[in-house]
Amino acid sequence: MDSQPEPVSYICGDCGMENTLKPGDVIQCRECGYRILYKKRTRRIVQYEAR
Amino acid sequence: MEIERTLQNLMASSKYGSFSWVYVEDSSAAHKDFTTHESSLIYSLSSSLLISCGKIRSVDISKRNQYSNKALISNELELATCIELFNSARFNTLNDNENLPVHSSVKWKYASKSCLCIHSPLLPAACSLNKMTYSRGYTMALCCSYEYLFQSMQHLINKKTMEIILFTCICFLSKSARKCVIANKTSTSIMKGTTICKWLTRVVGLHDLTYRSDQVSIYRDSSLERGDGGERRVAVTRLIRGNWIVCFQYDSKTMRLRYLPYGSTYWMFSRNGRLRLIHPGVVAVALLEYLNHVKKTNGRLCSSPSIALNRAQWKKTVGSSFELTISPLVLFREGILFGDVQRLSHLGKNFSGNFRGISRASLRTKVGASVLRNYVFVHLQKDDEKYNLLIFMLQKLFALVDHTAAPDNLDALQNQEVLLPGHLIAIYLKEKLQEWLYKTRKLFKEELQKNGENFESLTGVQIKKFLDKNPSKNVGMAIENMLKTGRIVTQSGIDLQQSGGMTVAAERLNFLRFISHFRSVHRGAAFAGQRNTSVRKLLPEAWGFLCPVHTPDGEPCGLLNHMASTCRITSFFDSQGNMKDFLKIRLSILNILAGIGMIPSLPKLVRAGPPEVLSVLLDGCVVGSISSDIAEKAVSHLRKLKLFPSSGIPEDLEVGYVPLSFGGAYPGLYLFTTPSRFLRPVRNISVSSNGLKDIELIGPFEQAYMEILCPDGGNGGRRDGFPATHEEIHPTGMLSVVANLTPFSDHNQSPRNMYQCQMAKQTMAFSSQALRFRADQKLYHLQTPQTPIVRTAAYSKYHIDEFPTGTNAIVAVLAYTGFDMEDAMILNKSSVERGMFHGTIYQVETIDLEDQKELSDQAQSLFARSNIEKHSSIDADGLPYVGQMLHPDEPYYSVHNTVNNSTKTFKLKGSEPVIVDYVAVDKGTKQKPPQKANNRSLQYVNIRFRRPRNPIIGDKFSSRHGQKGVCSQLWPDIDMPFSGVTGIRPDLIINPHAFPSRMTIGMLLESIAAKGGSLSGAFVDATPFPGALNKAGEESSDSRVDELGPLLASYGFNYHGLEVLYSGVLGTELTCEIFIGPVYYQRLRHMVSDKFQVRSTGTVDQVTRQPIKGRKRGGGIRFGEMERDAMLAHGAAYLLHDRLHTCSDHHIADVCSLCGSILTATIMQPLKKAIREIGGLPPGSTPKKITCHACKTSKGMETVAMPYVFKYLAAELAAMNVKMTLRLGNGAEA
Repeated sequence: MDSQPEPVSYICGDCGMENTLKPGDVIQCRECGYRILYKKRTRRIVQYEAR
Repeated sequence: MEIERTLQNLMASSKYGSFSWVYVEDSSAAHKDFTTHESSLIYSLSSSLLISCGKIRSVDISKRNQYSNKALISNELELATCIELFNSARFNTLNDNENLPVHSSVKWKYASKSCLCIHSPLLPAACSLNKMTYSRGYTMALCCSYEYLFQSMQHLINKKTMEIILFTCICFLSKSARKCVIANKTSTSIMKGTTICKWLTRVVGLHDLTYRSDQVSIYRDSSLERGDGGERRVAVTRLIRGNWIVCFQYDSKTMRLRYLPYGSTYWMFSRNGRLRLIHPGVVAVALLEYLNHVKKTNGRLCSSPSIALNRAQWKKTVGSSFELTISPLVLFREGILFGDVQRLSHLGKNFSGNFRGISRASLRTKVGASVLRNYVFVHLQKDDEKYNLLIFMLQKLFALVDHTAAPDNLDALQNQEVLLPGHLIAIYLKEKLQEWLYKTRKLFKEELQKNGENFESLTGVQIKKFLDKNPSKNVGMAIENMLKTGRIVTQSGIDLQQSGGMTVAAERLNFLRFISHFRSVHRGAAFAGQRNTSVRKLLPEAWGFLCPVHTPDGEPCGLLNHMASTCRITSFFDSQGNMKDFLKIRLSILNILAGIGMIPSLPKLVRAGPPEVLSVLLDGCVVGSISSDIAEKAVSHLRKLKLFPSSGIPEDLEVGYVPLSFGGAYPGLYLFTTPSRFLRPVRNISVSSNGLKDIELIGPFEQAYMEILCPDGGNGGRRDGFPATHEEIHPTGMLSVVANLTPFSDHNQSPRNMYQCQMAKQTMAFSSQALRFRADQKLYHLQTPQTPIVRTAAYSKYHIDEFPTGTNAIVAVLAYTGFDMEDAMILNKSSVERGMFHGTIYQVETIDLEDQKELSDQAQSLFARSNIEKHSSIDADGLPYVGQMLHPDEPYYSVHNTVNNSTKTFKLKGSEPVIVDYVAVDKGTKQKPPQKANNRSLQYVNIRFRRPRNPIIGDKFSSRHGQKGVCSQLWPDIDMPFSGVTGIRPDLIINPHAFPSRMTIGMLLESIAAKGGSLSGAFVDATPFPGALNKAGEESSDSRVDELGPLLASYGFNYHGLEVLYSGVLGTELTCEIFIGPVYYQRLRHMVSDKFQVRSTGTVDQVTRQPIKGRKRGGGIRFGEMERDAMLAHGAAYLLHDRLHTCSDHHIADVCSLCGSILTATIMQPLKKAIREIGGLPPGSTPKKITCHACKTSKGMETVAMPYVFKYLAAELAAMNVKMTLRLGNGAEA
């Protein structure tokens, strides 16, 4: 926990605004104050079974 | 079409939308269907409760003060409540009011900007995501009075919360347009009447109750068993405290009048759970004030008041000599009492010591009055009305005794009504409020005594302090609890037959299942355990109200019914959505009745009985009598007026005219205007049809005495002497919504239609349109649904296209490869790979660190990733990556503990890989203000997983005709048979043996029809009973095949749907033509992935060391006695040994052959000997030395294989001081 972890992006459940939060930040949209945020889809490569 | 339009007009202007769509601004009534209306009616009731009870003194203890003796109860104190709806914008918000964040004002602005009609951020969608209860505060003003002094009305605001039933008046979304509802992430199909309680969507189930304000005379065997000389004839009345405007007084009491063999009767009612018996004469006499009064004013009555008068009355009413002899005895055995005080105290004498607060003998009069008011015919206010009804009940009871009238059947729908959610909540709220008030009063008394203070000197602050000791929150909590668990906790027993199972979770497996929750009527849990089946019978009275098809088979069969599609329930609201004024309605009905020729019962007392005149009862109140000659005419007049809203007769008036008959039901004219009755529309053909309206709403009580023609088939055995006055609109009206969706259901064997109703509700389908935002614990979703080619009229009427449930699969009926034996079916592998029946399960996991915190007190934990060991599956915030696939036992989130600075990862449970669908982070709900500053950080997370569930061997599928089957092979496309002409390969092969015994001709018809439909590019109508729509003269073809066949033939196909197929493996022509065509198939939710159980070794029971059971824990399936028998019969001894011993609790025990004990073996640890380590080899184990503890020697120790339980048994026996001795020997000798 010592080194600063990279911030994670979330999308507001109400207005769709992208919020970047660091650990310890208040879970709330900066734009509209809505409190349910959804995590953004990962940029990593994901592989599914194509069967 | 016209009918439908009429009905739509009838219902269109309702301000409560329909269940699938909330239209308020969007009033294009095309979508609106009337069947959806009644569910809205049902569920708007509870809002009426809250709206209408503004400023109403709810609990009758406010009156208690008048009885209280000043000297006696010096500290007696009264509390009355006024309930008021919070109308301001002070709602229960997600943000605790005090510590609103600074930018919350921005939020408000936003809310108004996006034109959502919300005053508060608390919306159903957020509630379900937050595991909150969708509720709203309301306030109560408490008014304290003391010894006739009313202490100033205390404006004490008690904030309580009250569940909001979705889309009722107080729901935020109720007034919003469809667009708004969608914008608020709520599916518009979410039905009215559900409540969100801690994540669960709950529906209050409907329950049958005995008709209120109706006298039912029955034979009761149970009263015989009581052995107090009671006879088994009982007249039962369930009464509801009247005055419908005040819904809050919705409060029911059941009264029983029991006949005793010596000619007397008992009056029974229960109070605080105890049964009280009282002679009806006492009650009658107590009510006689009215008689005395009449005597004074009306000279016609004889001077010696009761006996002469009533003997005359009895003579007239009940003609039999039997009653004549006993009537004086019945009513006046108790003697004649005069004067108010005497009468009432005589009644009160029976109860002294039983009433709370009024325990003194001097208060008998008051007790008597209280009994009369609260327990005797509570739905009537006036004594004279009560008296008349008592006489009527006695008449009916004696008619039953006399065998001039038949007993009523309590199981018949005729005598039933439903308990509506709103009413349930209302009575429960009343109960809880009363409890709260009693408790508060006690508290006040105690406090005053303790402090020696005067009531007058109390300040508001003090009162508030007192009240805080009994928090009013409990009332709201109690209701929430009731909704959550379905259990009713009550001391007084609120006249309900059951205390549990009042609510059910509204599962959203698919739309049909969801809607069925709202249309189901349960007979009550009390009947479920009953041995006899009479309750479960489908009685003719239920025609058109309860669906004969849609009931589960098995245990709840016949108890859990579903309302027919046209059936609806009366409520406090009329079809315009306005509150009914019952007083006004009754008055206007009375006026009309008087105009027709009814003799009002007031003020005259002398009446005659059934042969000449019939009693007229309006909502259980004897309002007069009508000559039996004109009764029939009066009834038809009333029915005519029912059709015209302006007449003052409500459209839902039930005109139950029971005609004179000997030994039949007790005659009379019974009118009902009450809510919560069943209703259904029929066409009145007795009125000239030139007018627009001929749709009449009838109830089950009157239906039994009406002549209703059904347009399908003949005249239904009706004789010419009784011409039909009414006509069914369409025969499909008798089927429920789900049963109506089965195509060609009139060609199927009836149990198959029942099975289909069950399976339709288990189908994996397109469950919700707000899928993205839903946080249901488990959600099934069909990826590639289709609209059926063959459909019934109901399909488009109920817009099932918004929630399709299946796929049109090309089905070949043929025995191919042998893999389609015994209801197995072969799926085309390529079809599946192209997406047929593809589905997913969404599963939400909620992680609330607050919950976990309780274990380790102060430690603040939050989601974070450990720096030391990095898992590829955990993101920087300690949560999984969205879109990533997780495998079992892979860590997916980690929690950091700030106190001991440790990080813990959590691994995925289960046996199949999942994909992270969304991760929603939230502040959480459980925080209280005085907490650490850190409490807003990441604490509460909803993670939704997606489990791909494409069809595999073992998954279950079904057509719409109760033909279910299990996929046995995914057969390669190239090996499938193909059509000689079109080259088409079936998606699905079923065995022809599925048909002969099951007789699901509808499925064959569907196949032909769908084939024709897909060739012509048109949907095919498969509504059952199509002949009902044909006009007279226009003759339909005899067989549906003759309608469907020519279309096929016109496209060059076989008339009967047969095709020449070639074997896919050999390429040769199959020897016979194969029946092939598209059939709409449903994928059922039962999947092997959820069910398979496999085990060789694994977890075992601690005590017996046998394998445990349960799939979740990796247990096994019991290999029971029958299985053992089968093994023995086959002589498979080795296998048996393997199953029952080696794979179970195989154990090598050390037995001492000297003493024969298996328990005395002890291991002697050899002295530590230095064993030389040899590089690369494991250290050699030192041989253990086992000795017998009892014999102190290791000489006789032998090892014996045995089940471990045997050793356990020996230990258990030893605990009982029983020694078990084994005699060892070689197998040959034994």
